[in-house]
Amino acid sequence: MEKKYYKSIEDFKGKNGSLLLSEKAKGRHNEPVTTSPSTRRDFLKLFGFAIASAAVVSSCEQPVQKAIPFLIKPDSITPGKANYYASTFYDGNDYGSILVKVRDGRPIKIEGNELSSISKGGTSARIQASVLSLYDTGRHRNPIRYGEKSSWDEADKEIIEKLNSIKENNGAVALVSQTIISPSTLAVIEEFKKAYPNTKHIQYDAISANGITAANQKVFGKDAIPSYHFDKAKVIVGFGADFLGTWLMPVEFTKQYSKGRKLENGIKDMSYHVHFEAGMSLTGSNADKRVVIKNSQQKLVLANLYNEIAKESGADVINVGQSPVDVSSLAKRLLLSKGNSLLVCGSNDVETQVIVNGINYLLENYGSTIDINSPLQIKKGNDSEIAELTEQLNNGEVSGIILYGVNPLYDYQDKEKFQAGIKKTELSISIPNLKDETAEECSYLCPDHYILESWNDNEIKKGFYSLAQPSISPIFDTRAAQESLLKWAGLETEYVEFIKKQWETNIYPNAGFSGSFYDFWNKCVHDGVYEKPLTNETQLNYNANVLAAGVKGVKSEEYELELYESVAIGDGKQANNPWLQELPDPVSKVTWDNYANISLQLAEELELEEGDIIKIEDKLTLPVLIQPGQEYKTISVALGYGRENAGTVANGVGGNAYPLVSYSNETRQYSKAGVKFEKLEGEHEFAKTQSHHSMEGRPIIRETSLAKYLEDPASGNELHEKIEHHKTTLYKEREFKGHHWGMAVDLNSCTGCNACVVACNAENNIPIVGKEQVKLAREMHWIRIDRYYSGDAKNPEVVRQPVMCQHCDNAPCENVCPVGATTNSTEGINQMAYNRCIGTRYCNNNCPYKVRRFNFLDYNNADAISNNEYDPAGMTVDLKRMVLNPDVVVRAKGVIEKCSLCIQRIQEKKLDAKLENRPLADGEIKPACVQGCPADAIVFGDLNDENSKISKFFKDERNYHLLEELHTLPSVGYLTKVRNTEA
Amino acid sequence: MKLDLPFLPARRVVSLVFLFTFFFICNLQSPGADPSGSDHGVSRADLRRGERFFKGLLPFDIKHESCISCHNLKASDSLNWNPSAMEIAIKYASRDFASFEQVVMSPSGKKMSEVHQGFEIEREDLAHVKSYLDEMVQTGYPQENMEVMWLVGLILLILIVFWALIELIFVKKIKPRIITVVILLGSFGWLTNILYTEAVALGRQEAYAPLQPIKFSHKVHAGLNQTDCFYCHNTAEYSKSAGIPSVNTCMNCHLIVREGTNSGKFEIDKIHYAFDNNIPIEWVRVHNLPDHVFFSHAQHVGAGKLDCKECHGPVEEMDVLRQHSDLSMGWCLDCHRTHKVQFIENKYYSSYKEFHEQIATGKIDSVTVEQLGGTDCMKCHY
Repeated sequence: MEKKYYKSIEDFKGKNGSLLLSEKAKGRHNEPVTTSPSTRRDFLKLFGFAIASAAVVSSCEQPVQKAIPFLIKPDSITPGKANYYASTFYDGNDYGSILVKVRDGRPIKIEGNELSSISKGGTSARIQASVLSLYDTGRHRNPIRYGEKSSWDEADKEIIEKLNSIKENNGAVALVSQTIISPSTLAVIEEFKKAYPNTKHIQYDAISANGITAANQKVFGKDAIPSYHFDKAKVIVGFGADFLGTWLMPVEFTKQYSKGRKLENGIKDMSYHVHFEAGMSLTGSNADKRVVIKNSQQKLVLANLYNEIAKESGADVINVGQSPVDVSSLAKRLLLSKGNSLLVCGSNDVETQVIVNGINYLLENYGSTIDINSPLQIKKGNDSEIAELTEQLNNGEVSGIILYGVNPLYDYQDKEKFQAGIKKTELSISIPNLKDETAEECSYLCPDHYILESWNDNEIKKGFYSLAQPSISPIFDTRAAQESLLKWAGLETEYVEFIKKQWETNIYPNAGFSGSFYDFWNKCVHDGVYEKPLTNETQLNYNANVLAAGVKGVKSEEYELELYESVAIGDGKQANNPWLQELPDPVSKVTWDNYANISLQLAEELELEEGDIIKIEDKLTLPVLIQPGQEYKTISVALGYGRENAGTVANGVGGNAYPLVSYSNETRQYSKAGVKFEKLEGEHEFAKTQSHHSMEGRPIIRETSLAKYLEDPASGNELHEKIEHHKTTLYKEREFKGHHWGMAVDLNSCTGCNACVVACNAENNIPIVGKEQVKLAREMHWIRIDRYYSGDAKNPEVVRQPVMCQHCDNAPCENVCPVGATTNSTEGINQMAYNRCIGTRYCNNNCPYKVRRFNFLDYNNADAISNNEYDPAGMTVDLKRMVLNPDVVVRAKGVIEKCSLCIQRIQEKKLDAKLENRPLADGEIKPACVQGCPADAIVFGDLNDENSKISKFFKDERNYHLLEELHTLPSVGYLTKVRNTEA
Repeated sequence: MKLDLPFLPARRVVSLVFLFTFFFICNLQSPGADPSGSDHGVSRADLRRGERFFKGLLPFDIKHESCISCHNLKASDSLNWNPSAMEIAIKYASRDFASFEQVVMSPSGKKMSEVHQGFEIEREDLAHVKSYLDEMVQTGYPQENMEVMWLVGLILLILIVFWALIELIFVKKIKPRIITVVILLGSFGWLTNILYTEAVALGRQEAYAPLQPIKFSHKVHAGLNQTDCFYCHNTAEYSKSAGIPSVNTCMNCHLIVREGTNSGKFEIDKIHYAFDNNIPIEWVRVHNLPDHVFFSHAQHVGAGKLDCKECHGPVEEMDVLRQHSDLSMGWCLDCHRTHKVQFIENKYYSSYKEFHEQIATGKIDSVTVEQLGGTDCMKCHY
């Protein structure tokens, strides 16, 4: 089968032959970097001055450096060695058990905690990036009272007075928080309620899953979101749920999903994944079969699927209209895997979720792939409560409001109303941990510690605890929210002592731990997790009567709007994080923007071009992006952008789509039929990393189907053997006497979630170049994920491929360097000596993989000449520089950089082995991308060790190298992608 | 006549000369003082009298040596264990006269009581000395520029080159032109030599021996008292950094050892002061590696079993710690090329099968760092 791979919309249209740079960018490429009219004479003057000043600077006596030891050195801290503290990341939307790497008192990197049976050492891009949010310059530095800097004592005194006066006047107080998964925080809130019984606690999620909880309440009498087990499912059906990117627990789900799709260790079977969706999501693009439907058709299709299954299972059918797509074969396949299938739906519509529950129940998935007895504790927010509160606020029924970790003035659909309501209260308090739109509107701003500065306990599923411990003492004059609440409730206690007491009374007695509580607590803090799953299985009470009596067909001519979370920004909490802003969207490859995705068909029909501006529902103005695979009349817009007061990085990037969220049937709806939009004047240019990675039709991505793979494991990869056969050279082959490092990427496991990219950013001090530089193709990421489309433009197949330096044994870059700055090491690593590089960029030009990055400007403030500095995201301020890894050089202007296979980690682990007088173990060294990957798609190891996992991967018939016909002999291999399809 | 220089336009010569001059002026920096102290209402004459007394210039009979003979104005002489006038001044600036008098006239320390024994100083004189010292804290001590002569010499050299060029090209008064040429080449060569030496030494600090905030002597600790290096630098075997001992490590001994043979109480008191007041000691870092290079003590001391002396030299003979090696890349590589690793002893190297076979067959008897890739760029630069 000959597949044609596309990579951008121009390809589909068959225009724009040169794809290296867009025409606009090309024009700008020729402009000088600075706008000043520099001449040759200016250059000579500056050159002379630079030499003179360099001579002066260097000949002056070296600055005296101080070495200041500890006064009293703590036993656990060794200067120059990193400590890892087990902690937990939970910001109301994302969850992960993590290890925080702390060097000399500064958290610099986040790794997954492998002891957690939930995230199993995996992380996501947003969790990886959260370490930079700790050093966000926008964070509040002290308590604020009516817009003025205040002290805790002053604020506390007044707040307590006001709370008491409200209590005396029988006024109501609303405590609005994100969903709280911490049992101790909930206990704190109970204490607060005890002191102020007039308090109502409302949980509010920006991205609601109320539809699922309400449906479970209706069907099973359980107001909860169940746990899912994608690894146990042989057939996975998704309806608009981006479970690999953003839906509920993407890290856990990616771990499970990839586990069920690995073809290694002799396993010859993988799950079959069908995805129904309107806009192209990360999950949809990974599916074996992707079906394009409107979001409004979801219920109809699901009801038809239900009927097909019900017919076979002997259950009652629902009265439904004709399904727009045929689901009978899918139903058959699902029935074949009864008890081993899983259907998930991202809709927040209760009736739709009720049908989903019905299907899963008929397929006997409860108890196997779905576990409702140990429900997820996230997203417990009830949408009607917040709507009701907004009304009450505006009616003046609420005297006091405490906004803890929520930002309704940004992410509530009717923020003006909410804002007006806040103004009517006597007392408004906000407890934010990052800068947001809501906090400064309140009369008291009592900043919370950031997650990495605070103690907490989290119970993500019933019985699965994960502790959070501070990895740095608070940078600013902040106070734990729980301590604030306790203080206002009249309890003077440190929150950590409060948690300990909670654990001592509630958890320790049932733990069956043989030691004292002190030992138990220390063990839990050390491990970070304490897991004691509930064993008592309760019978499910299935109530089939709630299934909708009938589902009608939908109008097809209406335009529909779909609001989704982008993989990079999520719900927008961490929008002020430049690592996330510069992260290319896994589907569109756009950075620093959100946009209205429209289909190619619609674009042609309405004569819209990419970058044209449209206005949706008179509420949101956005540029248009033509997205292959987009449903004909659906417009998809990412939430989380358009922040107004999040900090210098996020403010004004993209548009805020939350006002387009609608509220119907007591839940917030993220898609809507019958939207109107109009074209406006003007155009917009996207900062894409897409169109300059052309593979120009070469066999870069090799893929096959499961059927063919079972016949011949080398199918799709026939070229490899052919090229291996021709592999011959005049020169002596290189020998690697000790180690020969290699890396392999299993394209079957990689979902393209981008966690590796951010992990690499954090580990290797990769600069942020900003939107304008990305437009000029100057992004600096050492690892990129290439995305290619193939097949029908209306619903193409998608393949992704992470590309980093291939560490060729016969590297084209090395031969052309005039100064020997890049050479091959005795361990097979293509080395880059920054201090030797003079910036000719010959290597860049000669690299067939285009993985070398050039520092066009001084993004890091690493050189002495201040005019060179280019810092679009404030990354050179002292506070943000605290995140830099001291084991990796900060590169200056004019040098090339690229993936080093995390040489600093290799050296560290080698040294550990030497000090412990033992050989290196396989899998001991984990480069940042390997460690961060939630899908375990990347393997690193010693090719000289025959028993290593990497050697096995390299011997696999699926293994091939990028452009191997060029005889570059890369040390990086790829395993072919296998789709679970017949052909 | 039109100036028509074939190879060096006059402007460029001038700017070059200017550049060289500028270049060397920068070498002539002298340490600045950081005076801090309090105001005193003391007359100028009293201050001068205090100064003269301190310096032993007062015309009356003194049985003892003057203050300055032990207490230098600034701590320039490393071998003088006694505190300098400035250090005393800073320490007593915030204290009253009574405590100062107490210490001078009836000291508690052994060494000081021996020296200060039988002092007969008028109370008034001592008060003047205190005022003088207090003033010193505010104004700083007088600066001397020892290197002015060198600068003058250099400018002279440049002028000679300049003159010789003019003489050769325009004036042509000295008939045997060989003299001018010799002078020109000689001076120019000398200049170039200075430039070259300076350029090579850029960023290098061989023999750097800065004064430390405490007169800590490695000779006393490592030499006389035979303290093991790792007692204080205890992370050298397992961390990148060898570790400067924290103050509580010092206190392990100095809780009891309150007075030194050489320095008396003054220096050791500084440790106690730091410890009691939670003020960390700001040592001056002696060994500064160039940028862009990673060095791990654990690799060299822990795994490589190198002796500290191999890089740091005879530390046990140094009162003031001096940088022994130049820490240049050439120096690193020399050792990497010749030094043998713990190839048999350390099991980490078991994966290097080929070398083990060669050793077994007697083909080689040891393996150098270089053979294991010790000269790869990314061993140190990443």
